[in-house]
Amino acid sequence: MTGTRSPAETDAMLPLWRAIVVFRGGAMLVAIGAFWLDREVYPSFAAAVGLLAAMAVWTVISSIVYLRPGGQNARAAVIDLAATLALLSATVLVQPWPALQTTAPILASVWVAGPVLALAAALGRDGGLAGALAVGGALIALRQRIGDQELFNLTLLVISGVTFGYVATRIRATAQQLHVALAAEMAAVERERLARTIHDGVLQVLAAVQRRGPALGPDGAELAALAADQEIALRVLMSRQPPAGEGRSDLTSALRPAATARIEVVAPVDPVWLPSPVVDELVAVVREALTNVERHAGPGARAWVVVEDLGTSISLSVRDNGAGIEAGRLDRAVADGRLGVAASIRGRVHDLGGRVALTTAAGDGTEWEITMPKEPPAGHGAALALRRSR
Amino acid sequence: MTRVMVVDDHPMWREGVARDLGDRGYDVVATAGDAAAAARIAATMQPDVVVMDLQLGSSSGVDATREVVARSPRTRVLVLSASAEQPDVLDAVKAGASGYLVKSASLDELDDAVRRTADGDAVFSAGLAGLLLGEYRRLRDAPEPDAPVLSDRETEVLRLVARGLSARQIATRLTLSHRTVENHVQNTLRKLQLHNRVELTRYAVEQGLTADEPAE
Repeated sequence: MTGTRSPAETDAMLPLWRAIVVFRGGAMLVAIGAFWLDREVYPSFAAAVGLLAAMAVWTVISSIVYLRPGGQNARAAVIDLAATLALLSATVLVQPWPALQTTAPILASVWVAGPVLALAAALGRDGGLAGALAVGGALIALRQRIGDQELFNLTLLVISGVTFGYVATRIRATAQQLHVALAAEMAAVERERLARTIHDGVLQVLAAVQRRGPALGPDGAELAALAADQEIALRVLMSRQPPAGEGRSDLTSALRPAATARIEVVAPVDPVWLPSPVVDELVAVVREALTNVERHAGPGARAWVVVEDLGTSISLSVRDNGAGIEAGRLDRAVADGRLGVAASIRGRVHDLGGRVALTTAAGDGTEWEITMPKEPPAGHGAALALRRSR
Repeated sequence: MTRVMVVDDHPMWREGVARDLGDRGYDVVATAGDAAAAARIAATMQPDVVVMDLQLGSSSGVDATREVVARSPRTRVLVLSASAEQPDVLDAVKAGASGYLVKSASLDELDDAVRRTADGDAVFSAGLAGLLLGEYRRLRDAPEPDAPVLSDRETEVLRLVARGLSARQIATRLTLSHRTVENHVQNTLRKLQLHNRVELTRYAVEQGLTADEPAE
């Protein structure tokens, strides 16, 4: 088994390789039968039997390799192609040149199609096509002419190689999809099972610790706070994330992990889809704003992160109920470093094509209100790409 | 004395809440661990407030809420649940619950919430306001006949609740009376519940008519 292939894929491909082996064996018997009927044509009976014996040995070797999981790959198929072409060119040793250029039978006949199918199975349509052209080219070189028969052989080889390769690719892709779907299904079932267990046990205890802790004094209150944070972390872990797709992510599920006992994430039930880079950037902006709340809003301040879907745009608010800033002192606050992140947040949001409003009042906390179109306006993609590459 | 019933599938939690509320002077008349028992006992005991968990083992607190509200119209349901069960919270509120509190809330907050629920107020968290805003926007975009709409004032109030402002802070900010703010909040809930009842009835009628048609 190679490192890149899943067991499911190897299992799915096995029948194809078995078919190649059966074809090889059958073609060998056909070659022997054809030789027996035409045995008078060959100048040297012993030389022809010798070549047939070499072909039979290679048939057995390649069959053994193809039936082992480690041998079902392009390397084995290419070696098979080389050996087959060598045996095909050995025909000149058993048939005189002039005869070959007329209608004399070629000993190897249909047997030479084996590596074409193997290449198709290993590399798909293009592998099948390349193998067919190599074998067909060798046949033409052997006859030293391009007649109806040669073109017919070439066409047959190309059709079977390409068809077989296409089928192999489809089987591989289907096996991969099935594997991914099964893995997702198993993960979902397992998550459900864990969620049930956690809900019935751990969460109830954590909630009880939060309720009873504060009554036991400062140590109890500390335990309660710890339990609260862990409860929220567990719940976020258990909550099901909608599958992201086509470069879009759900802003709400990206923001949920920011929740703590003091920070609430408020959002609608339905996912809020935005381009994934925009979501990453907004999460970074929210984290910056929340870090600022932690530093400057004062002890005991709480914060709310509010996501609203406004149709063609979204609104994202980060509000705290902390100390706030007196009217007219905003500039000084910026200078004092109490709003050191202001410039950074403004810059980031403007780069995304959004707007920021900052409202604050002494004793009434601070609120960042971000409005962002769902589709970034033209020209903002470049700024975003630049920022992300830094 | 306010008569309270506690519904939760977890015995430790159920008894804990019942004892805490008893200590705060409430008359805890019953407890139940699943939806069927909750509806049956509530119909018999007619409590003023049912404190309802939403995950009741194999049964659902949303169904229990709908049953309790249908069979005991005088009883109010306060959902006491967890933040991760958000679609459930919205469903419970649409089914007739008049408030929602997270389980991690302190005893003081629970006490306050039960008292306000008994008084007929809507107990709102920021999270529930966010869910309602989302639901009204969904209804507005969906081609549904008679979908309820929020007035500009109600939207404004709801958005401030979602941002964590208390009714008193909102009243100050919008220069309204505290009572007016409470009324706005309650209206947003009532409209949605009424719409949900109408939808359920319409659905039942449609199902009934379909069932009466002769089978071919």
